[in-house]
Amino acid sequence: MFEWHMEERDGSSIALPEGAIDHETADAFQAALSGAIDGAAAKSRLIVDLSRVEYMSSVGLRVLMRASKQSREAKIEIHIAGLNDTMAEIFKISRFDKIFSIHDTVESALAT
Amino acid sequence: MRVKFWGTRGSIPTAITASEVQDKVVEGLLAAGGRKFSGPDEARAFTESALTFSQRGTYGGSSSCVEIDRGAGEFTVCDMGSGFRAFGIDALRRIAEGRPKTFNIFMSHLHWDHIMGFPFFGPAYDPETTIRFYGGHAEMEVALRRQQETISFPVPFDFMSARIEFHPLEPGRSYEIDGRAVRIIRQYHDNDSYGYRFEEDGKCAVYSTDSEHNSEDLDADQAFVDFFDKADLVVFDTMYTLADSLTMKEDWGHSSGMVAVDMCHRAGAKRLAMFHHEPIFDDATIESHHRDTIRYEELMRDEHALDVLCAYDGLEVDL
Repeated sequence: MFEWHMEERDGSSIALPEGAIDHETADAFQAALSGAIDGAAAKSRLIVDLSRVEYMSSVGLRVLMRASKQSREAKIEIHIAGLNDTMAEIFKISRFDKIFSIHDTVESALAT
Repeated sequence: MRVKFWGTRGSIPTAITASEVQDKVVEGLLAAGGRKFSGPDEARAFTESALTFSQRGTYGGSSSCVEIDRGAGEFTVCDMGSGFRAFGIDALRRIAEGRPKTFNIFMSHLHWDHIMGFPFFGPAYDPETTIRFYGGHAEMEVALRRQQETISFPVPFDFMSARIEFHPLEPGRSYEIDGRAVRIIRQYHDNDSYGYRFEEDGKCAVYSTDSEHNSEDLDADQAFVDFFDKADLVVFDTMYTLADSLTMKEDWGHSSGMVAVDMCHRAGAKRLAMFHHEPIFDDATIESHHRDTIRYEELMRDEHALDVLCAYDGLEVDL
């Protein structure tokens, strides 16, 4: 099951996906993330709060990478926040921790 | 069905250096801590219990060559990287024991690292040998002849006296070749590459190297999941980390251990062999990637555990 919520806070867009992101939910994740980038103003920031994502397979990570490229073209910064232990390991194994700006919480992402 | 890895390195053969060998000896001596051994057997047992694979051995450096064997009859090999030379030497030994001089070679693609072993294949110079090439590329013969043009190699293709045949295969069809059901799938790689599925007596091995699964076409994954369906062994190109495969190495035509695990999980495959190792990686780095892939499999496991191997030159897997 996959859910998606958006909010605006302190000039940043915050995306809050919920559930597991794998091959069954990747299309929905992609559509939502792409829409969030399209909807964000240029030179603004999109924080993807992954605190409610149980795990993300390589398909989900590939979606995230595509979003990163889309955001660069749109001049939007993507920040990742709220990785649980499993997600932190997945980001480390994939070396995505070297590519994305990662924060413990949304608040710490907003503070940068 | 036995799968034997004669070459597991990608892009270019890579030799271990004297310094790297010495480093391994030093690690072994330090681990032994002054212990005395009664003889080679005890010392060997110690290395296997106290040292990791990268400390006591090496993944090797020969480029891609994988044999599918039933222990008798014709020989079947996927790709002719530099490991094909050692396969040829061993095949001569088995021919002397009674095996026929007939080889079925399945070519993933025509890039140099996958064909460079052919000029050094001893049986090709024997007029009693039959070599049948199978592949998705119409230009198989062109590529092999080109690498043996005299400007590049001193022995021309026509000097090989074996009977040589070329058999193009098409994706979407099933073939019976030497008693096995064989299917081919087209893969994303520069100038295309092809993967193979071999089925015999209820066992199945898949050879899928030099295949990129990138961020642009997620729907293409399902075709591979179907191709890998319930395979006993999937040999998969895990050359890069996921991040590298999607950024600086995007469109380089290779994949990662994480994608391999996810596809094998979805397919219900039993075992994954990581393959086509990056030539700049030393043994410790390849072993680290292996550990990461094993851990990822544990994190993502749903119902059935996938056994994650890391192929090395000389590995034999019985299905």
